[in-house]
Amino acid sequence: MKCVIGGGHLRVFGRAIHAIARISDEFWFDPVEKGLALRSVNSSRSACAYIFFSSMFFQHYCWTAGSKSCQREKQLPLPCKLIIKSVLPVFRCVNMLERNVEKCNIYTNINDRHITFQLICKHGIVKTHNLTFQECDPLQAVFAKHMCPNVLKLQSRLLTDIMIHFPMSQEEVTLAVTPMKVCFKSYTEEDTDFSKAMHTEIQLNPDEFDYFQVGVDSEVTFCLKELRGLLAFSEATSTPVSIHFDRSGKPIAFSIEDMVLEASFILATLSDIENETASEQPPRFSQGQDSKSEKTSVDRDSNSEAIASRKPQWNGNSQNTELVAPRSPLAKQEIKIIPKISNKDTTGTEGTTITETDDYTMLEARPTHFDYHKSKLLHTGIGFCTWCITCVVSYLYKYCIFQFHSLFFGAVSFKEKDAINHILHSLATASDTEEDSVNMQRSQVL
Amino acid sequence: MRFRAKIVDLACLNHFSRVVNTVARLAKTCTLRLTADKLYFILSDKVANGGVSVWCELCQGNFFDEFQMEGVAAEHNEIYLELVPENLSRALKTAQNAKTVKIKLTNKHCPCLTVAVELPSLSSSSRIVTHDIPVGVIPRRLWNDFREPGVPDFDVSIYLPVLKTMKSVVERMKNLSNCIVIEANLSGEMNLKIETDLVSVTTHFKDLGNPPWASDDECQSSAQGRDLESMAEARIDIKKLLQLLAGQQVNPTKALCNIVSRRIVHFILLHEDVSLQYFIPALA
Repeated sequence: MKCVIGGGHLRVFGRAIHAIARISDEFWFDPVEKGLALRSVNSSRSACAYIFFSSMFFQHYCWTAGSKSCQREKQLPLPCKLIIKSVLPVFRCVNMLERNVEKCNIYTNINDRHITFQLICKHGIVKTHNLTFQECDPLQAVFAKHMCPNVLKLQSRLLTDIMIHFPMSQEEVTLAVTPMKVCFKSYTEEDTDFSKAMHTEIQLNPDEFDYFQVGVDSEVTFCLKELRGLLAFSEATSTPVSIHFDRSGKPIAFSIEDMVLEASFILATLSDIENETASEQPPRFSQGQDSKSEKTSVDRDSNSEAIASRKPQWNGNSQNTELVAPRSPLAKQEIKIIPKISNKDTTGTEGTTITETDDYTMLEARPTHFDYHKSKLLHTGIGFCTWCITCVVSYLYKYCIFQFHSLFFGAVSFKEKDAINHILHSLATASDTEEDSVNMQRSQVL
Repeated sequence: MRFRAKIVDLACLNHFSRVVNTVARLAKTCTLRLTADKLYFILSDKVANGGVSVWCELCQGNFFDEFQMEGVAAEHNEIYLELVPENLSRALKTAQNAKTVKIKLTNKHCPCLTVAVELPSLSSSSRIVTHDIPVGVIPRRLWNDFREPGVPDFDVSIYLPVLKTMKSVVERMKNLSNCIVIEANLSGEMNLKIETDLVSVTTHFKDLGNPPWASDDECQSSAQGRDLESMAEARIDIKKLLQLLAGQQVNPTKALCNIVSRRIVHFILLHEDVSLQYFIPALA
């Protein structure tokens, strides 16, 4: 996979990375034929981010064909998992990016198991970052936006202006809608001292929205911190934000859509125990312990559907997202994430009880693919580790010492090919000198 | 007990926000005293505060378009509230282009100061942002704790240098030492000194001027008989000084300090309609 991001779009891409960073420490880099998808799921499975850049976003986008090495290997580029901490420094200062960087090349080298981010900056400076990744299939949320009775669409500027009234430390926010008004208010957990917490409430008129549809009066509470990344991202793209949601307990989706990109942040909402008992939801999606059997059948259906296709499930899946109502109203709900191992259904449906180990098994999707990965990993187990170390070293080397080297070895390359050769050469040279010194010492002793 | 006030003018709102910001930097919790024509932000000198005390006085007429207050009782027409000024500061921060700001005392789940901001919006009706700031009502028997501190019997009174300069000097010094010595004399000279095992740094300010104080027999006797060159000094916590200096966003009309040698330093900052007094006790 190889793609080139032009100067103007770098800011958008940088903000996308920052937005995803708010969700989790790692994310999936998922190139598909039509473009590049970035996905992230947080550790408690209560937030899921998906940002898709179509091939038109890039100056140049090559999925498989075109690159000699890809053709030779005859491999499909696989989605890979990266640590946010490694990628974030590349796009750290978004404003500086805009000013100094002319373009950014991103390409994967499956054999070497690393992704290269290369920033071509002004004044002939080339910064190359080689990062290792883990191959694995990403998780995708199953959520049917078109089934949501409540839809709001507003300018990103307006949404930012609303959220600015909440302090940065505010964790959760409630959105309450009726056909007559919209209200965003701060949410404090019941066990917090009310006499200390400041409460903020913003009332808006439906006129302020580009599109306003309220099918059912509802009050949904979601995590504001996770949303802030999307707010910054949407401001960078200046596209209106659509909010799809239902009653409390069902997830809320914030999405933006453009000619060249599309993003969706799906957040779980707190369920309200009082509302549950009075709810009129069809039994298929009812929350609570009694409908376990129904739920498992639903899960299996969706699993098989989901496993069949790797493509994003936004429109294809006709099912609404399943959520489990925990006993305590304070617990965050898990968004249904596929793929799930089917034999874990009995415990898995109680969303909140899934443990760490289960999370990892959930990551390996299709059995066949999983086996392939596993064997390959074992095979190259040791090799992988050492390569990992070398890559980390080379990452540090390049990131920290690149300028230093260029002074000594004289070459600051404009072209990517030369840069890579140059870097490999410099690594080789370094190890040579070490050996030499050791030999010399030995000879002296003797 | 009732309290309702409204600010309509943006400049007044701006000014009020700045005062609240300054107080927020000086104290985590403070007392708001409301009378018919004045507001006071008070921090009394308890050990918990490190011995510092704050007294900030505002004339309500200069800020509020409407101001209605009904105290605890007819003969004690005042309200004392305990609040976190940071909350009030945050509520006013995003109200900078508001149409109106209303502040009133309410009783929701607990006594609250409700700040209702009416913001302009694209639609016909305005956007309303409401902040409920929890407050504690201070009972009358404790009102004596919050009396105005008297001007101490100082040795030297001197105008402060430009606060911005003073702030940048003290900020650099903060990295080197925890306490700073302020000394000044009646010839308009002031020194800020820090001394550690490794280094000692002194910044000298000259030609600052000494404010004339209304002659009071006690003051005169200590001030008049004083040698013009001799310095009165006090060693204070540098962080407390920095809190005062960092909180100043606008240069005050008058800024002076009174030093009682080795006892206390008393800062007075005057804007047109706001007076702020800050006491820092000297360290042993």
